[in-house]
Amino acid sequence: MSEVPTFDARILLEGARIVAARVDEDLIVREVVGDWCEVAVGEDVRDTVPALIGMEDELSQELPYVQLPFVSLGMSHEQPVAISVKRDWETQSLWILLRDVSEEASVQERLVHQHNALSLAHRELAAARDAALTADKAKTRFLANVSHELRTPLNVVIGGASILRKQRDKPLPNDDVITFSNDIHDSGILLLQLVDDLIDLSRAETGNLTIYEEWCNPSVIIDEMVRLSRGLPEAEGIEIVYLPNENVPEMYADPRRVKQILLNLLSNAVKVCSPGSRIQVETEVLGSGDFKITVRDNGPGMSQANLAIALEPFGQPNAETRARGTGLGLAIVAKLADLHQAKFDITTELGKGLAASTSFPAMRLSSNTG
Amino acid sequence: MKAHKVIVIGDFGVGKTSLIRRYVLDVFSDQYRATLGVHLYKHSDVIPVNGTEQQIKLVLWDIEGAPLPGEQMMRYSLGASGAIVVGDLTRPDMIEPMRRAADMIEARLPGRPIGFAFNKYDIAPAPNDSDIAALKDRYGALITCTSAKTGDAVPTLFRNLTSLILGKKTGAL
Ligand SMILES: Nc1nc2c(ncn2[C@@H]2O[C@H](COP(=O)(O)OP(=O)(O)OP(=O)(O)O)[C@@H](O)[C@H]2O)c(=O)[nH]1
Ligand SMILES: [Mg+2]
Repeated sequence: MSEVPTFDARILLEGARIVAARVDEDLIVREVVGDWCEVAVGEDVRDTVPALIGMEDELSQELPYVQLPFVSLGMSHEQPVAISVKRDWETQSLWILLRDVSEEASVQERLVHQHNALSLAHRELAAARDAALTADKAKTRFLANVSHELRTPLNVVIGGASILRKQRDKPLPNDDVITFSNDIHDSGILLLQLVDDLIDLSRAETGNLTIYEEWCNPSVIIDEMVRLSRGLPEAEGIEIVYLPNENVPEMYADPRRVKQILLNLLSNAVKVCSPGSRIQVETEVLGSGDFKITVRDNGPGMSQANLAIALEPFGQPNAETRARGTGLGLAIVAKLADLHQAKFDITTELGKGLAASTSFPAMRLSSNTG
Repeated sequence: MKAHKVIVIGDFGVGKTSLIRRYVLDVFSDQYRATLGVHLYKHSDVIPVNGTEQQIKLVLWDIEGAPLPGEQMMRYSLGASGAIVVGDLTRPDMIEPMRRAADMIEARLPGRPIGFAFNKYDIAPAPNDSDIAALKDRYGALITCTSAKTGDAVPTLFRNLTSLILGKKTGAL
């Protein structure tokens, strides 16, 4: 019988940057092999290796599968270790192995960092490119739409005027003269409104749109705009109501611009709603103290994709949104809200109506000026 | 006292490390240094529970970022009592990856509370109400807009999640 040489695995661990700790079922350290880092016998292994906190269930499994390649205790020590757990079948005990991985980590960390930084830069570039492309497309669309919007009423003006001019040769019946003059007048008003909107928008875009603030009563403004919108030609058969909240605060804002916001939203709603629909204006003081004015209709609503386009100047993807005003309305409302540091928000769903709300910040309200 | 493991996950560069370092050490750096593997932070805090102040201990897992949860993230999430899913408000498509991370948590750690942190609130606006409502509906989750830079809502985020974790505990007893 030849003698089997005894071999103590511990020799292998001498000087190696690895420590093995044997723990009992309460996770108390019973034995430590290797001296690369301090693990105290008799103490809970989770005190030195907090990564094991929460893993108790996994550790009590027959075959625990705990392998964490890079773990470092934050704060001061950055020393990364690899943690793995093995069960010794003879003694039924658990061995926790900690291995120093600082060398691998320093290389890997640089790689991960470079990879992440590059992907982030790449994503940013892609987003910038997309934004530039969309902006470019929006501009082309804008120009096409502006010309279209200007042409339609201009044609009415020119057509009407040239008929009236021919009266020299062949006088028209009085009624026709009145009809043509009315058309010319209305188209002129439309053009003026369009040009005013364009000026506002370009001022807003260049940061030159100023607001003239004063203390005003939102209720009075809303009331006025609701009455005005009832008089719009498309408003026939549509119920437009204002449901005032008990405590509408005084607001520090530009009343002319607040009116513009409301009238834009109301006339947009009126244009898409069919007779029998209902449009209501609601007010609410939010928990945050902000004051929210909502114009809600039960009209056709729109899809999220179309909503995004509708918010662009002249961004009208199809007939569904096309009908909404001159196409500048929402873009201007958003800018005007912004000038008041108000949050403009639209919630809508295709077929389920639309609610456009403007939330004026609490600091603009009388109750908060104490 | 039992310590709770809380994992912080999300895409890289969204501010996971920054949020934890703001909460634990009250510091912030503009420099980006990617996290490799996981960094652990031990932290004690005092939070109100049923009207009394209660001392709590957390082990926060700052996990290497990835656009979508993978094998590694799942392995690290083992045994967590709760999770914080971080998104970056400056990124246009931040919500979908957050949903995917939350789905992973739901599958791996059923019933554990999830907190959504919409970070970098100092430089970008909050998500719109309908997105928030959809997340709440789906995950019954805690949703907070945070800024690791200014510290805005950072302790609140961690404390509210911890309250939920403790709530779950007592609820189960
Ligand atoms: N403005 C601003 N910047 C932030 C905020 N939080 C983080 N950052 C910056 O975003 C970058 C990434 O932050 P980290 O905390 O390292 O991101 P991370 O999620 O840990 O990234 P990985 O470890 O790679 O997954 C850094 O440059 C931070 O300074 C914040 O709230 N506001
Ligand atoms: Mg990090």
